[in-house]
Amino acid sequence: MPWMLPTILKNFFGGPATRLYPVEVREPFEHARGQVSFNEDKCTLCGTCVRRCPAEAISMDKEKNELTFYPARCIVCEVCVDICPRKAIDLIYKWRSPFYAKPVEVYKPRGKASNKAEKEVAATHEPALNN
Amino acid sequence: MVEVTEKLWPVEVPPRVKYLRTIWAEMSRTHSHLLWLGLLADAFGFESMFLQFWRIRERVLDLLEMTTGQRVIQSVNIIGGVRRDISPEQKKICIDTLNTVRKESESLIKVLTNDYTVKSRTIGKGVLTKEQALQLGCAGPTLRGSGVREDARLTKYDAYGELNYEPVVEEAGDSYARALVRAKETLQAIDLQLEALAKLPDGEIAVRVRGNPPANEAVMRTEAPRGELFYYAKGNGTRNLERLKVRTPTFANLPSLLVMLPGCELADVPVIVLSIDPCISCTER
Repeated sequence: MPWMLPTILKNFFGGPATRLYPVEVREPFEHARGQVSFNEDKCTLCGTCVRRCPAEAISMDKEKNELTFYPARCIVCEVCVDICPRKAIDLIYKWRSPFYAKPVEVYKPRGKASNKAEKEVAATHEPALNN
Repeated sequence: MVEVTEKLWPVEVPPRVKYLRTIWAEMSRTHSHLLWLGLLADAFGFESMFLQFWRIRERVLDLLEMTTGQRVIQSVNIIGGVRRDISPEQKKICIDTLNTVRKESESLIKVLTNDYTVKSRTIGKGVLTKEQALQLGCAGPTLRGSGVREDARLTKYDAYGELNYEPVVEEAGDSYARALVRAKETLQAIDLQLEALAKLPDGEIAVRVRGNPPANEAVMRTEAPRGELFYYAKGNGTRNLERLKVRTPTFANLPSLLVMLPGCELADVPVIVLSIDPCISCTER
């Protein structure tokens, strides 16, 4: 008891150790791994992230042109962010808010179309440049 | 896992990586032991101490989040190095926080080791003799609590060879001895982090590793908070390993309950089971 006394007194007069979450949320650390988000404009559905994700949190359907992300499975290991050849996956420092139902995010990537359009534009400009 | 895979090539990582890995390993040990000390207090009904330990642990988790980006599953090691670096500002914050954590833990550990109630609930409960511990193949604090000087850090992997390290050993072999080992290791882990932060060399944080893991096999022993963690890897020249075997410390420590539990009082079962720090989900690998 006497050894615990300073701690007890400190607790009596000190403030609470916890916050009124989710009303009061701590600012995330600068490089905290909060969550990942997919950029539909850049993604080309190449499938690298699907193959490398250790938690199987990403799946894709090339025929439907859909990328499905299961945030509740994601462990924010950052592997997908590191290996994405198009840099289409971003790391957000802010933590995801708690949820009752497991969310499922469906993306419709346009990267392949925009990539193709870019190539077509480049191809049409090429002869002009050569001239 | 990363280190055993690096051994397949083998890849020599820069000195800064070794120190960073040591710092994060010891930081994980600090928070794991603080969690356990809290759970022990909870097991014999000392609720206020349980929360005090967890409050201190939160500071260590904040340090981990600040430096690695994650609280518990850091995912910071990659083959050939680490993903994150500790900046000079972060280093200063780490040193200040660790000193505070050490001071606060010390005062709480003093209560744990001197309190009459704590002693009466742990001394002589779940006795595991040195011979039984060795025979049953125990690991980590369970083994060291029975008077065996055995620790994978003595193999001097990472930066442990350059740090002032000596394993904590207690002779009694009861739940109190195992608690003492973990309490002292908490403080020792903080000292090791402070020493490693002071000696942290400059340099690169990763080297580029080319190609697939070669057809080779390797073993690696590391000291996780619960005991020796064993990895075996076999490569076949392709992208995927042919075989990877993990033996977690709880798998090694569980048989000791067969000796400790028979004949004990029912009320002592939570304390005795907890004294090996079981992680059942880690056992099945």
